[in-house]
Amino acid sequence: MAKFFKSINLSRIGINLFIALLAVFILGPLVWLGVHAFAADWHYPNLYPSGLTMRWWSKVFLDSALATAIKNSLIISPIVVIISMFICLPAAYAAGRMNFFGRKAFMITLFSANSFPKIGLFAAIATLYYALNLMGTFVGVVIIQLLGTIIYMTWIPAAAFAAVPKNLEEAARDAGASKFTVFRTITLRLAMPGILVAIVMSFLASFDEAQGTYLVGAPAIFTMPTEMYSLVQNYPIQVAAVFSILLAIPSVLLLGLARKHIMGGQLAEGFQLK
Amino acid sequence: MISLRRKKNKEGSLTSQGGGPSLLGLGLSLPPLLIVLVFVGLPILIGLTFSLGFTTGPNRVIAIIGQQIHKKNHWWGTLSAYNDVIHDSRFLGDLGLTIFVTVLSTTLVLLLALSIALYQRLIGGRKAAVLVTLSIVPLFVPVVISAWAIHTFYGGDGFMKTFFTHFGVDFPTLTSTPSAIVIGTVWTSLPFAILMISSGLQAIPDALIESAKDCGASVFRVIANILVPLAKTPIIIAASFTSIGILGSFTIPLFLGPNQPTMLGVEISNFFGAYNRPQQSLVMAFIVFAIASGIAVLYVRSNIKSARESGRL
Repeated sequence: MAKFFKSINLSRIGINLFIALLAVFILGPLVWLGVHAFAADWHYPNLYPSGLTMRWWSKVFLDSALATAIKNSLIISPIVVIISMFICLPAAYAAGRMNFFGRKAFMITLFSANSFPKIGLFAAIATLYYALNLMGTFVGVVIIQLLGTIIYMTWIPAAAFAAVPKNLEEAARDAGASKFTVFRTITLRLAMPGILVAIVMSFLASFDEAQGTYLVGAPAIFTMPTEMYSLVQNYPIQVAAVFSILLAIPSVLLLGLARKHIMGGQLAEGFQLK
Repeated sequence: MISLRRKKNKEGSLTSQGGGPSLLGLGLSLPPLLIVLVFVGLPILIGLTFSLGFTTGPNRVIAIIGQQIHKKNHWWGTLSAYNDVIHDSRFLGDLGLTIFVTVLSTTLVLLLALSIALYQRLIGGRKAAVLVTLSIVPLFVPVVISAWAIHTFYGGDGFMKTFFTHFGVDFPTLTSTPSAIVIGTVWTSLPFAILMISSGLQAIPDALIESAKDCGASVFRVIANILVPLAKTPIIIAASFTSIGILGSFTIPLFLGPNQPTMLGVEISNFFGAYNRPQQSLVMAFIVFAIASGIAVLYVRSNIKSARESGRL
């Protein structure tokens, strides 16, 4: 079949050109910013910087505000993900395996909550936050970031749980395995890729959340993305570049961890309402 | 294939667990539901009353701090704040730009994602894998970084301008123009669309394509009459999530767009913060939400329809 479709007049040159253009479009901005992290001076229209240096890195690590932001991000995001797992995974199991009344309404409620413009929600949430004394608090930031993770942590694992073949579980039960053993060794194990993708997506959603965190957390709590907002205005581009690289490290590590499953369709499965 | 197996599962779970799961399922799904109701539903509801001129109760403080507050003059409230916004020339410009960017970027994202996914489905191989991998990269880059990276890349002293200067070409400065917003939103939205559409196309059995080919169908007929219709649901999901995301986007237009007009996400934040007009800010949020809900209905309907067609409902 491949041979048949190779007759499409997509010449080798055409597809190579397309790959090159896409690479420039996607990677170009990242590489350009990344190189700045090591550039001494760089004046337009030179294609190269005047020299290479590591001094922007020491500037970032010696700046206590930036170091605090890094620490905050690395503390808050894991907490958000763990809380999200406790809250959402049982619900995901229910939505994937049980046909309870209101199941569909439940999934759609989560979805519609997600389609309200975030920035409008953050404006509206201020009233509630003042009433509950959550403004400028750690708990307030955790809740704001939690909101963005719920749809991932519910939908993706729900699809993964739903896809576990029932007869495998029944076979194990027939062979004498306890309910818990079946759940642990079969259901949970087979749903694991989906849960892993949900964890990665939730972590990224929490780690990247900037606007709500800024509105609720500032000036008491800064995370890396909220710090980045002020960074790009107040520091040379090289400092922002260093910070960008640091901010991207967790994401790239997670990419390595979950890339296979995300591209294997776990994410896409989760977004089809069943 | 997948849907058939699903159907069996669901029947299985119904028979083996009897009447119990209904209550248990509801109970298990309560925690995230409560969080969403309290921290999304409730604020939106309070915000709605505030936008209609209810300035007492939970809205008392914000009504005192904010400027140009309209108080209700009917039992149901007032539409004065909505009137303000609709007749604000800034808002009209913003709305126009927001819709323009949403439509253009969503179209571009879908075209790009569809062509890459079709290439992957029909031809495959190493080059297809490279294309898909490239398109997934933005998923793992925090949006603040992508916005800033694109800002510097297309800016006045950015790479594009620098590079083309050496060939005597004056590449335009795109940063702070609507074009840069389109570039940024396409960049950030591409991964999700690719993942959805490519997984939809992969699920179509080879046999269908083979038999159409045996009947003498051209490649374009195979694409237009088999692949795209069968992947309709994932394509609509990609379209709705992409457009809803772009509609409410904030960071990308803030970093990349012009000051005036700007996208509504940025304007909502401006009105709430800098201009201290919270009522008008919320009105804009509800207008964006109304448009997003229209798109969301398409998404839900398409899902229900596809579930019904495959016998899952």
